[in-house]
Amino acid sequence: MSTQNRWLIWIFLAPTMVLMGVLLYYPMIGTVVESFYDTSFISPEPRFVGWAVYEKVWNSRQFPQVVWNSVVWTLGVVLLQNLLGFFVAMLLNQGLPAQGMLRALVLLPFVLPGVVTAILWRFMYDPQLGLINSLMIRLGLVEDNAAWLASSDTAMAAVIFVAVWKGFPFSMLIFLAALQSVDRSQLEAATLDGAGPWRRLIDVTLPAIKPVILVNVVLTLILTFNYFDIVWVMTRGGPQNATHIFPTRIFETGFGQFRFGEAAVYGVFSILILAVLAALYVIVQKTADGRRRTA
Amino acid sequence: MKTILLTTAAALGLASAAAAQEVTLQFWDNQQTESGLSEFQQAAVDRFMAENPDITVEVTTIPYPEYQQRLLTAVQGGNAPDIATLDQIWVAAFAQAGAVADLTDFAAGAGLSRDGFFGGAWDSAVVNDRLYGIPFNVDVWQFSFYNQDLLDAAGVAPADLTTFDGLRTAAEALTTDGQFGVGLFGHRGEDTVVVVNSFIFSNGGEVLNAAGECALDEAPAVEAMEYLQDLAQFAPDGILNANSGTMRELFLNGSLAIEFWPALEQPTLQASDINWGFVNGTAGASGTAVGTFGGWNLAVFESSANKEAAQKFIEFMVREDVNGDVVDLIPANVAAAEAFLAENREGPEDILAHLGNAKPRPLSARYLEVAEIQMTLYQDVFSGANVAEAATAACEDIDALN
Repeated sequence: MSTQNRWLIWIFLAPTMVLMGVLLYYPMIGTVVESFYDTSFISPEPRFVGWAVYEKVWNSRQFPQVVWNSVVWTLGVVLLQNLLGFFVAMLLNQGLPAQGMLRALVLLPFVLPGVVTAILWRFMYDPQLGLINSLMIRLGLVEDNAAWLASSDTAMAAVIFVAVWKGFPFSMLIFLAALQSVDRSQLEAATLDGAGPWRRLIDVTLPAIKPVILVNVVLTLILTFNYFDIVWVMTRGGPQNATHIFPTRIFETGFGQFRFGEAAVYGVFSILILAVLAALYVIVQKTADGRRRTA
Repeated sequence: MKTILLTTAAALGLASAAAAQEVTLQFWDNQQTESGLSEFQQAAVDRFMAENPDITVEVTTIPYPEYQQRLLTAVQGGNAPDIATLDQIWVAAFAQAGAVADLTDFAAGAGLSRDGFFGGAWDSAVVNDRLYGIPFNVDVWQFSFYNQDLLDAAGVAPADLTTFDGLRTAAEALTTDGQFGVGLFGHRGEDTVVVVNSFIFSNGGEVLNAAGECALDEAPAVEAMEYLQDLAQFAPDGILNANSGTMRELFLNGSLAIEFWPALEQPTLQASDINWGFVNGTAGASGTAVGTFGGWNLAVFESSANKEAAQKFIEFMVREDVNGDVVDLIPANVAAAEAFLAENREGPEDILAHLGNAKPRPLSARYLEVAEIQMTLYQDVFSGANVAEAATAACEDIDALN
């Protein structure tokens, strides 16, 4: 590559790099710096306090609960969303009649804005007026009006269910594309060797789409960890903090309580976790690319 | 030649003077109801601009749920408007942050004083003996709105609802299959805080005492919370995720007998088919129902380059003949409120009496942090926790803020 071409590359990259620097890295670094200062709306003059705010957050009653909730929320949504997405993708890959329409119907939850989804489900979960209790009582599954979002025993499961309902079409789309790229001749050969549907799935389909599964899982881990609107609109992190996850806690602490230093600490923990997940994504993506090249 | 130069210089001078006097004010307000407030405000603003041709006012009305965040972001980003309405509970924080201007001298010069406004509203704008806002509108949590038909069917008289014991007995009588006696709610929100506060105030309790220390663990407050914990059995299921809006839906469909709202609820009920009435809160050991003040103050931002014009606009907006036209709560100007209530609300005398008794929430720059601890406490109470122990833990957290 000539020197002139190298300069051209940098010139073309410059606008993107400037934008990323201003919109991504500057706020990120700013958050890390702010986390070492005692700063809030009412004390706008930042006072350097080192690790004091970290200690305060670490020792608070809320922090372990937020961490645990985030783990349950993220793993619960990712696992169920991908399992359901894969199952529906398998169904839609069978050449069912009216497949195009079915696919469009399945995609509907995904295209709804998160806030609309949350409001819709909040109504559906309403103990007195909601459709869920009405159906469950008619089916004899519950006797009384269950308060799904108002009990710390059920609130997390209820919001996970909604996130899965909204998110599974995303996983389904990716899985469906992968399933359609599986080599037909391998499936036919396996059938000729006497393999049934289960064996074909385990021995042919899953190994063939494994890189896509891994990328999908890591991608949904990142997206789910960062999810805000469904939880905030449905429960505001309640009841009794049972559904507070990192994004809702950051929002409430920063914009609800004006405690910017503390919100920044939660933000730094969030960045660290996301950095690990992003690194995982890059590793998985590289491995997947390597396998594709080898194949 | 000399004449031409002088004429040109004079013309330029006049033009620049005129340009210097022309001012554009940014005014931000929030909208809590679908009352057509924006149109009424615009009409008043047009009137102000006609009276003050050198001042242009641009009004931005922001939905209530996103107002706090938008305002905070604007202040932090150095893009604050010239004037905005501030919730009473934000004024101390904005004042301590140096974001809003001291209006003490302006108010004195304009003849605006505590006497012309509801005292609790005026006090909410005073921080360290200086005035940082002019009361704009007010309301009080809570009035007990009742469904007269359901009360009649259960043999309950409205007067029964005005005492702790009477309300409990009534709630029990009104709770039947598919019908709930009392619309208690306990989600993490300010409406939960103000309703529980009013029961505490009405029982002679306080949130913070005169020394600024937590008083939620003292007997009157603990007793009031124990009372509410017991009363919750007559409320609709799902109390921890229910808010005042949830209760309104149940009240309007006839399955809830008593709901707790400020007077702001009246237009909704007037437009409904419900046969409704109201009483002023519920009196405990203190013998008087004491509500919790709510409302908004007009503040001028320190960053405004047009403070004089902004003050002139505020003076106009709280005038007796204007204040009632530009609010969807109750005008903070007492004379305007009397006229507004007589024209727009049932039971204006009762409302005025309840406003007169109401107490403000703690006037602290750290109010929002106090309120967050209160929300956690109240959720614990409604979950069946030991009230005294939960209150002690909450007080430790509140006192640790100082």
